[in-house]
Amino acid sequence: MNQIPVTVLTGYLGAGKTTLLNRILSEPHGKKYAVIVNEFGVAGIDNDLIVGADEEIFEMNNGCICCTVRGDLIRVISGLMKRAQSFDGILIETTGLADPGPVAQTFFVDADVAAKAKLDSIVTVVDAKHLPQCLKDSKEAEEQIAFADVILLNKTDLVTPDELKQVEKSIRAINAFAKIIRTERSQAPLDQILGLGSFDLDEILKHEPDFLGAKDDHHDPHHGHDHEHGEHCHDHDCHDPAHHHHHDHAEHDHQHDSTITSVSLVIDKPIDLPRFENWMGDLRTNQGQDLLRYKGILDIAGSDQRLAIQGVHMMMEGSNLSPWKADAKRQSRLVFIGRKLDEKQLRDGFNLCAVG
Amino acid sequence: MPNSAIAQQWDFKLPITALSTNRNGDWVAASMGDGSMRFLAAHEEVKDAKAMDVHKGISLSLKPDADDHAFLSGGDDGKLFIIDPKLDAPTLIAEHKNQWIDHVAASIDSTYRAYSIGKNVHMLNAEGEKHGPALTHPSSIGGLAFSPNSKRLAASHYNGVSLWWTNAKEAVPVKLNWKGSHLGLIWHPDGKILLTSLQENALHGWRLSDNNEMRMQGYAAKIHSMDFTPKGKYMATSGADQIICWPFFGGGPWGKSPLTLGGTDARVVTQVAAHPKDELVAAGYEDGMIVMAPLDGRMEVLIHAPIGKGSGVIGLVWNATGDCLFAATESGTILMFTIESVRKAVTNA
Repeated sequence: MNQIPVTVLTGYLGAGKTTLLNRILSEPHGKKYAVIVNEFGVAGIDNDLIVGADEEIFEMNNGCICCTVRGDLIRVISGLMKRAQSFDGILIETTGLADPGPVAQTFFVDADVAAKAKLDSIVTVVDAKHLPQCLKDSKEAEEQIAFADVILLNKTDLVTPDELKQVEKSIRAINAFAKIIRTERSQAPLDQILGLGSFDLDEILKHEPDFLGAKDDHHDPHHGHDHEHGEHCHDHDCHDPAHHHHHDHAEHDHQHDSTITSVSLVIDKPIDLPRFENWMGDLRTNQGQDLLRYKGILDIAGSDQRLAIQGVHMMMEGSNLSPWKADAKRQSRLVFIGRKLDEKQLRDGFNLCAVG
Repeated sequence: MPNSAIAQQWDFKLPITALSTNRNGDWVAASMGDGSMRFLAAHEEVKDAKAMDVHKGISLSLKPDADDHAFLSGGDDGKLFIIDPKLDAPTLIAEHKNQWIDHVAASIDSTYRAYSIGKNVHMLNAEGEKHGPALTHPSSIGGLAFSPNSKRLAASHYNGVSLWWTNAKEAVPVKLNWKGSHLGLIWHPDGKILLTSLQENALHGWRLSDNNEMRMQGYAAKIHSMDFTPKGKYMATSGADQIICWPFFGGGPWGKSPLTLGGTDARVVTQVAAHPKDELVAAGYEDGMIVMAPLDGRMEVLIHAPIGKGSGVIGLVWNATGDCLFAATESGTILMFTIESVRKAVTNA
C-alpha cells in the first residue's frame, strides 16, 4: 500500500496560509486532498474531506524527553485512512501558534500513521511585512521557519526591495536550507509546494541536487529504514508502578531570545560508522530538544553506498542510497537547524568521526 | 500443517475497517471502507453475505448493540446507527453534523448507549433519548466501555480514565490518572479491574477496590486487541510477536510473567479472540497468519498460513457457541473457520 503524502502548512496568523489552502483546494489540478484544519477559516469550500481537530500535544513516556506527538492527528489520519475511496494527499493547516515539532514527530513515532501516511513537506507561509515583528514577539514564528522545507515569502508587494532583502536575510539566518519562494497573495506554483518528498531519504538527493554539489538522479528504492525511537525493551513484565519513578519531562527552553541557526558541515575523509553513530546518539540524547531538523549524506568507510540520514529532535532515520559513482567526489555533509548550536563543537565532533 | 483450514471465504474487494458480533453471537458484521456493511449469519452452514448501506463516509466504531440482535455504529458522517441485520436499512438514533463519532458502546443490561465526539461523551437511554448532559473530558476520547454490571462508564483519554456513574444525579467522574495517551479500554469480567492500552506500546490497569495499579510493557507495537478468557483467568493481547496472555489469578498479574503463545517469527499479532467457552485463544497476525492456541500448554494449530503485507488480520470474532471463527483482513476478505474444518485440515495434513 502506498503511503499518502502529507503536507503541513504553518505560518503566523494573517500570513496567507488560508489563502494558499483555498488555492490548493480550488485550482483545477485534478487532485483530491483531505484537509485537517485547526482554525476554521476555510468556510465556503465544498469538500467533504475537511476535518476540524483541536491541537492535542501528547508527551510520550518512552524515555525520550522531547518526544511529543499530536494526538489529534493520529486520530484523524487513522480515521481518514480507513476510507476505500482514496485521495491524493492530506493537508494539515496548523494554528499560527503551532510548534511544527510534534506534528513532524507524529510521523516518526506512531507506527500506524507511518504505515499509511508519510510527511511530504513542511511549508511555512510568512508575511514579508510583519515577519520582523513576529520574530521579535514569538518563538513560534522562528520555529516555523526553522522546520520548513519551503518558505513562502508572501506579500512581497507590501515591502521595499531593501526590506525584502532584510527579511530574506533574517530567514536565512534561521534556516539556511529551505527553498524560499517569493509571492504575492500566496501565488506560488503548487508543484513547488506539494509532492516534494522532503522527508523521503531517497528524494533528498533528487530534490536537493546542490546538497553535495552534484546532481544525481539515481536512487535505489530497495533500502531498509532504521527507525530509532529510544530504547526498546522486549521483555514482558508487569509492575506495580508505585515502585517506579515516573519519567520526568524536562522543561523546554522557550526563551524568546534563544535564536535558531543553521550549521553545515563537510568532511572529505570517509566516516567511521560506529563512531558517527555514537556521536549522533550522544548529541541526540543531550541536545535533542534543541536539534529541530538535521539531514546528511555520508560517505561511510568500507561501503560503496551513500548513507542518508535525517531527523527531528531525537528521532533519526537512515538508509543506504545508491552507490557512489566512480567519478564522484566522495564527501560527507551534515546540516543542522537548531537552538544554541555550537558550530565549533559540532564541527569538531563530526571531524572525529572521520577514519584515521 | 495445512495451508489453511478455511470453511468458507468471502472476497468483498473493499477494505474492511472493523468486524464485530452482536450480543447474541448469531450474526457477524463487517464495516467497509465505503461506509456500507456486510452481514454473515454466524453458523457453520454455507451462506451469502448480506449488504447494507449505512454511513455516508465510514464507520469509525462498530460494536454489539444494547439490542441483542443488533449492532451499534458511529461514523465520520456524524451519525449513530442501530443496525439490525434482519432489516433492510439502519435506524438513525443520533446525528451531529460535521463531526465525527469516534467511539460507541452499549451497556450489557441494554439500558444505555454511549458515544464520543472529540472530548465529549453523550449517553442515550433505552428509548433512545438523551440521558444526562454531555460528559466533558480534558482531551479527545480514546475508548469507551461500560462496566459488566452497567453501573459505570469508563472513558479513556490523555493522562488517564474518567469513570462515570451511569445513573448519578450529578455528573462527576472518578479520575484514574496515569501519564500518557490512553486508547483501548477493557473491563475484567468481574468488573473489579479496568485496563487501557497506551500510545507507547504498553498497558496500564487499575484495581478499583484499592486503586492498586499495574503496567505491562515490552510490546513491539500498539495494542489494538485485548480479550479476556470466559471466566477472566487470562487476558490475551496483540502487539507482540507472540500472543501475550496475562494471568489474572493467584495474585497476578502483579509480579507474574505472561503466557507467550504462538509463533517465534518476527510477525506481530494484530488481533486476538478468546473462545467463548474453552481456554483457547485465536490470534491473527500482520501478514494474515491465523492460529488457534490452547492455554493449557498444548501445541497451537496454524489454521491460515501467512500471505504477506496488506493482508493483515484486522478483525477476529467467535460466534456464541464457539464453533465458528471469523477473520477479516485488510485486503477485504472474510474467512470462516469451523472446529470441523480445522479438525479435517489437521487430520489431512
